[in-house]
Amino acid sequence: MRDTRRTRVVFGTLLIIALVLITVDYRGGENSPLRGLRSAGEAFFGPIERVSAAVVRPVGNAFDAITDAPGERRRAERLERENQRLREQLRAQRIDADRAAQLERLLGAAGLGGYKIVPAQVISAGQGLEDTVTIDVGSSSGVRPDMTVMTAEGLVGRVIRVGPATATVLLATDASSTVGSRLEDSKEIGVVQGVGRRGLGRGDATPLRFQLLNANAPLQPGQRLVTLGSQGERPYVPGVPIGTIERVEKSLGSLTRTAYVRPFVRFTTLDVVGVVVAPPKSDPRDAVLPPKPKPVVTPTPAQTPEPSESPRPSKSPKAARTPNVRD
Amino acid sequence: MLTASDVSPTGRNLTAAVVIVVALVLQVSVANRLPLPGAVTPDLVLLSVVALALTCGPLMGVVAGFGAGLAADIVPPADHTIGRYALVYCVIGYLCGLASDEMDRSAVVPFFAVAVGALAGTVLYAGVGMMLGDPRADWHIVARVVPLQVVYDVLASPFVVWAVLRAMRRYERERARDRFDLPPARYRALSRM
Repeated sequence: MRDTRRTRVVFGTLLIIALVLITVDYRGGENSPLRGLRSAGEAFFGPIERVSAAVVRPVGNAFDAITDAPGERRRAERLERENQRLREQLRAQRIDADRAAQLERLLGAAGLGGYKIVPAQVISAGQGLEDTVTIDVGSSSGVRPDMTVMTAEGLVGRVIRVGPATATVLLATDASSTVGSRLEDSKEIGVVQGVGRRGLGRGDATPLRFQLLNANAPLQPGQRLVTLGSQGERPYVPGVPIGTIERVEKSLGSLTRTAYVRPFVRFTTLDVVGVVVAPPKSDPRDAVLPPKPKPVVTPTPAQTPEPSESPRPSKSPKAARTPNVRD
Repeated sequence: MLTASDVSPTGRNLTAAVVIVVALVLQVSVANRLPLPGAVTPDLVLLSVVALALTCGPLMGVVAGFGAGLAADIVPPADHTIGRYALVYCVIGYLCGLASDEMDRSAVVPFFAVAVGALAGTVLYAGVGMMLGDPRADWHIVARVVPLQVVYDVLASPFVVWAVLRAMRRYERERARDRFDLPPARYRALSRM
């Protein structure tokens, strides 16, 4: 009775519109004409989400306090530490360029990596199969697409879209995310891919898969990964900690070796993050990694990194910094 | 106030639009950030569309589904092909709207409709993603997510449906008086339990 002819016509029309939208957006790819639609969405829903995040934060805090009472203290400590670091780096930004450069070098030498960051807060998260979040800084704060997003613990992801006052971040755990990475204390490189942390099974603990390009290099649980750094430092700056290798997959006969990685960042309770708006002057190597919990097995001396030995001392903090500081 | 027959359709449509916007904002800024086991969250927007379709029929289901889907496609953290949710929610809205006629046959129809709607919506969304070659709609990921997603949707459905019915109650009563429509009343009674 209620399934009238009119209903069917409307249904058919809307279905066709939806299919046309999908086709146009899919064929258009990055420069799809529907980008404008999404910018409109960003401009319209962004402010609403900011307001709603401000309203529901106390509710969320109460929920967290109930579910995460033992972890609350640790979290507070972590945030405090993070705050202090952010404040330090903020101060570094405000001071004029010359002193900022000096401080930046100092920070780099102190092992903080020398990233210049804009702090931000997560205000909403994606649904369905995608792992994305919105943060409350946008183009007015100097954030651009393809910038690295990190916390004090490590890599969060990269900025994919920027609105006036909000930006969308693709998390490293998303299945469409790929990060070039390097094993700590070695020059062995590989690719970290997200496998999604949603759903049943072990995805929650190890949502990242690491593929080591050199099949003969040593690879064992406990080794840690940092970002390799993309060309032109975008989208990923070098030296950001990613995670610890949890288990290595036995795959005989393949060209690469696969391992599953436990990230340093807890993606379920993401709150305060920093967008790296300027890359470090030089690769911080392993300086940003936290101190080792236990001695990790050193790489076998069989590999002789002779060709790589010459650029390495110049990048090490002491050799490069001391002459600079003096003059 | 205007006459009942005059204010009803506009007011009903406006209320439906508000329900969808509220559901969408709650979805992205509250539900998706809850640290639930498995990191899967109930799809409040889908549930609102199902509830609207079940109470107001297929035409409302189709239009509300399309609108809600398009909004979900462009709301900031979204990063998929525009139109995917619009297509899926439109279809689900139509199917659940058809089921609204069957509501007086049995008392279990509403809950069955929510469960089937949630399952069909998630599977259809993943299916469209697979056809488009989306790496996130990989078979392993979908197989992990779908069962948990349906469970969460069914668990959350009484609350969402109750809230939507509360919002739509005024317009329902007008309709119920016009053509003694039993299903919404029964569903409302059910969801109040």
